[in-house]
Amino acid sequence: MSALAAISPRRKRTDLMFRSLLLGATLLALVPLVLVIYTLISKGAGAWNVSFFTTDPTGRFFGDPGGIKSAMVGTILIVAVAAAIAVPFGIGVALYMVEYGKGTRFAGIVRYFVDVMTGVPSVVFGLFVYIVLVLTKIGGGFTAWKGSVALALLMLPVVTRSSEVVLLLVPNSLRETALALGAPRWKVILRVVLPTALPGLVTGSLLAVARAAGETAPLLFTAFGLAATSANLGGQMNSLPIQIFNDVQKAQDRLVERAWGAALALVVMILLLTLVARVVQRRSATA
Amino acid sequence: MRKWLALAAMCVLALVVAACGSSSKSSSGGGGAKQLGGSINGAGATFPQPVYEEWGAEFKKQAGTAVNYQGIGSGGGVAQFTAGTVDFGATDSAMTDDEVKAAEKKGKTVHVPSVFGSVTIAYNLDGQKSGLKLDGATAADVFLGKIKKWNDPAIAKLNSGASLPSQDITVCHRSDESGTTKLFTTFLAAYSPAWKNGPGVDKTVKWPTGTGAKGNDGVASCVKQNKGGVGYVEQAFALQNNFTTAAVKNKTGAFITPSLASTSAAGEGITVPADLRFSAINAPGAKAYPIASATFLLVYEDMCKAGLKADQAKRVKAWLTYATGDGQKVAPKIQYGALPSALLKSAKAKVAGLQCNGKPIKG
Amino acid sequence: MEASSLNARGDRSILERSPLAQLPDRATKWILTGLAALILVIIAFFFIRLYAEAHPAFAKFGVFGFTFDNDWNVSAGIFGALPLVVGTLITATIALMIGVPIAVATAIYLTELCPGKARGPLTIMVELLAAVPSIVYGLWGVFFLIPKLKPAEQWFSDHLGFLPFVGGSVAGPSYFVAGLILAIMVLPIVSAISREVMATVPVEHKEAALALGATRWEMIRMSVLPYSRAGITGAAMLGLGRAIGETIAVTLVIGNAPVIGNSLFSQGYTLAAVIANEFNEAASNPLHRAALIAAGLVLFVLTLLINAGARYFVRRAERMGGINAAKGDAGARVAAPGAAA
Repeated sequence: MSALAAISPRRKRTDLMFRSLLLGATLLALVPLVLVIYTLISKGAGAWNVSFFTTDPTGRFFGDPGGIKSAMVGTILIVAVAAAIAVPFGIGVALYMVEYGKGTRFAGIVRYFVDVMTGVPSVVFGLFVYIVLVLTKIGGGFTAWKGSVALALLMLPVVTRSSEVVLLLVPNSLRETALALGAPRWKVILRVVLPTALPGLVTGSLLAVARAAGETAPLLFTAFGLAATSANLGGQMNSLPIQIFNDVQKAQDRLVERAWGAALALVVMILLLTLVARVVQRRSATA
Repeated sequence: MRKWLALAAMCVLALVVAACGSSSKSSSGGGGAKQLGGSINGAGATFPQPVYEEWGAEFKKQAGTAVNYQGIGSGGGVAQFTAGTVDFGATDSAMTDDEVKAAEKKGKTVHVPSVFGSVTIAYNLDGQKSGLKLDGATAADVFLGKIKKWNDPAIAKLNSGASLPSQDITVCHRSDESGTTKLFTTFLAAYSPAWKNGPGVDKTVKWPTGTGAKGNDGVASCVKQNKGGVGYVEQAFALQNNFTTAAVKNKTGAFITPSLASTSAAGEGITVPADLRFSAINAPGAKAYPIASATFLLVYEDMCKAGLKADQAKRVKAWLTYATGDGQKVAPKIQYGALPSALLKSAKAKVAGLQCNGKPIKG
Repeated sequence: MEASSLNARGDRSILERSPLAQLPDRATKWILTGLAALILVIIAFFFIRLYAEAHPAFAKFGVFGFTFDNDWNVSAGIFGALPLVVGTLITATIALMIGVPIAVATAIYLTELCPGKARGPLTIMVELLAAVPSIVYGLWGVFFLIPKLKPAEQWFSDHLGFLPFVGGSVAGPSYFVAGLILAIMVLPIVSAISREVMATVPVEHKEAALALGATRWEMIRMSVLPYSRAGITGAAMLGLGRAIGETIAVTLVIGNAPVIGNSLFSQGYTLAAVIANEFNEAASNPLHRAALIAAGLVLFVLTLLINAGARYFVRRAERMGGINAAKGDAGARVAAPGAAA
């Protein structure tokens, strides 16, 4: 059999057809992205001006609806607190699995349940926090910190699993060298493992933050809502997703316009976070 | 890489500081005679939300207290009030005996009627102005899904001479538990046995047809987005969105368009029990709009025993005093009816009787 | 005192650290182990609490009755979640039927056919679909997709009424719109995992096919697809897990009608959407609250089963590919879609 047998026209046609089908499907996959971004910009950018970012929603039935200041501040605060809980926690668990529990049954169980956690829908976490913290009125009814807890529960498995992957990438020879030089284990972790893995840890955490920032359901159940800007984590707080959720279901054009503006702001925030995460990742890859 | 972390930490810190700074600025605003300050949280009906938002802005100027009102529906309002997660609740249909009993764990509940409003039947129909005539039975058939087109003989019979399109009807109703729904279904059930024995009367019913939406706003949005859409919304929402609304046949047989006058007319000549849990649906007056009602603010008679701090109870009482005082003058500006004088007197008495740990609240 | 410490020192090898110096080491170990244990405690508590809270609903209607009775009537105090379960499954099925073929095609194109320069940007763009939050898809669905699709749906319904589940009047929000939005949302996840699985197909297999004179497509059909079938199945299941748990976007576009609609274009409800809509009202009604939590539990168990299945397939595909954890642990990838480049 000749290795260079001519390909029959029929096979060529089939090949071409399927290749173009695959290309077509790829382009089709990008259609919603283009449409979403186009609609977001065309409808959202019109809402943007200085006062949009510097005023709170007025809640007034007629006249100026106000801007999204309280929602932006609320989102940043709630997500920052959630990250403050989930990032150290998640990295700690990952450290345990890589540095101490490698190959042990316990670590296997922990890893399994972390995976289970990733699959839990955000609305179920919201419901859980609502039952355990809101209805029991621990430290007030609806409060922002409970929203942070719900988001932290969502972020935790993401941070843990991405950190684990990164920590596994740290070459064992580095650890062994440090240990052989007489450094205690904790110092090896602190001075060798963590700094080596830092870019990856930052990337993973930032992506988890980006994901949490867009979540609506957990906040609906916990931080509730508030028109005014507030930094009181012990009280109700506004956030971008909740602001959008409330405005979407309004009939008035001026409120729907605010929803588009707020959505654009939210997407820009998330894209910036993702971008920073990628830059950190790329830097570490070239370094 | 540590630089990165430091930078991130600084960013977060800067944002927190900025947020704190701005909030302390905003809370020191206002300049009334007596400064109560702080904020109170309420949640419930969306029906009176427009007027509560206006009041909130005025009250903030007067007392310096911010009122955070979340429109989550009357069902949510009663539930969160009973669970004690809010300082005050709000509902359009008075709490049922069962609900009152459930709330009794925390103490005696007080219904403070705040304003009168009307539930309009709003529609989105090309070329059709306001004033399409509907009676209870026909409206019930529309919401039952029995009448599917706008030119149905039943509608045409009530509107002789009107040119009705053969457009499909899209029903919009509430997806949350709503006092507005209870008022509306009470009206439908009074004229339609099929409705009474089918979906029935409650804050939420098993809708045979249509799209569910959240709040008066959601229903308004649904009507607006669907050609041929019909839904029931409070008058202020219809007005704000320039909706066309139906003239509804009342108890005396007259077709009444919803207006401030016909809403207020519904408040006259109705009997009110001592605990003020009343309904103004199918009011007897010849000029009364048939689907009108008062809406209520909910508090516990002894707020401190129910879990509020003393100064918080004071703020809530001030808010209710405003609602039954100066607020009554604001309401008609956005088409809500003020309380008739006899009812207002009883409402004021209820507010005056509020307590904190067995003692009357001063101020 | 001195004697005993001397004694202790005598027992120790020179390389061993003093007990005091070991303290930070021990502390680190215990703290980290504690954190790991805490995760288990949280999950155990989560599950027990949910089950205990849902118990009244299961006790009253039975697990089977709750899940499969076709009557969700809050005012009557009857909670049979079948309309919600059916709605959840219909929308998820639509999402998979539309989303998975496109996602897999995208993955094949990006791994096998795409010219090198376009690959990076195209990959990032597909992944960007995952960065758009649910609420934004919901907003877009309400104000862009529904009005734009309605005429097409109506035409479809009028002319193809002979098909099952098609015909009758077209509502704006519907199973179909919700399914379509979900398809967009699962696409990046399915695509990313499929890509990773396809990357593990040994080069020898592909080259062998090409060397035998196969065209590109034949090579894909004969070596890439069979090799990654398990992984693609796993990816699709992960997409399914995501689709059934999605809440906010679905709430906004499904029409919130607790009945089983009679066509693809009628309004429905899903488990997640009902929780988001009714939790406020259920605060003081124990049975209603239990029913919502039970709905959450059913959702949780469904996702648990689906994800376990997905993981099994993805792991199997990984083992076949024999890739090491360092190269790309798809399990972690599942945890953080879009985390690995």
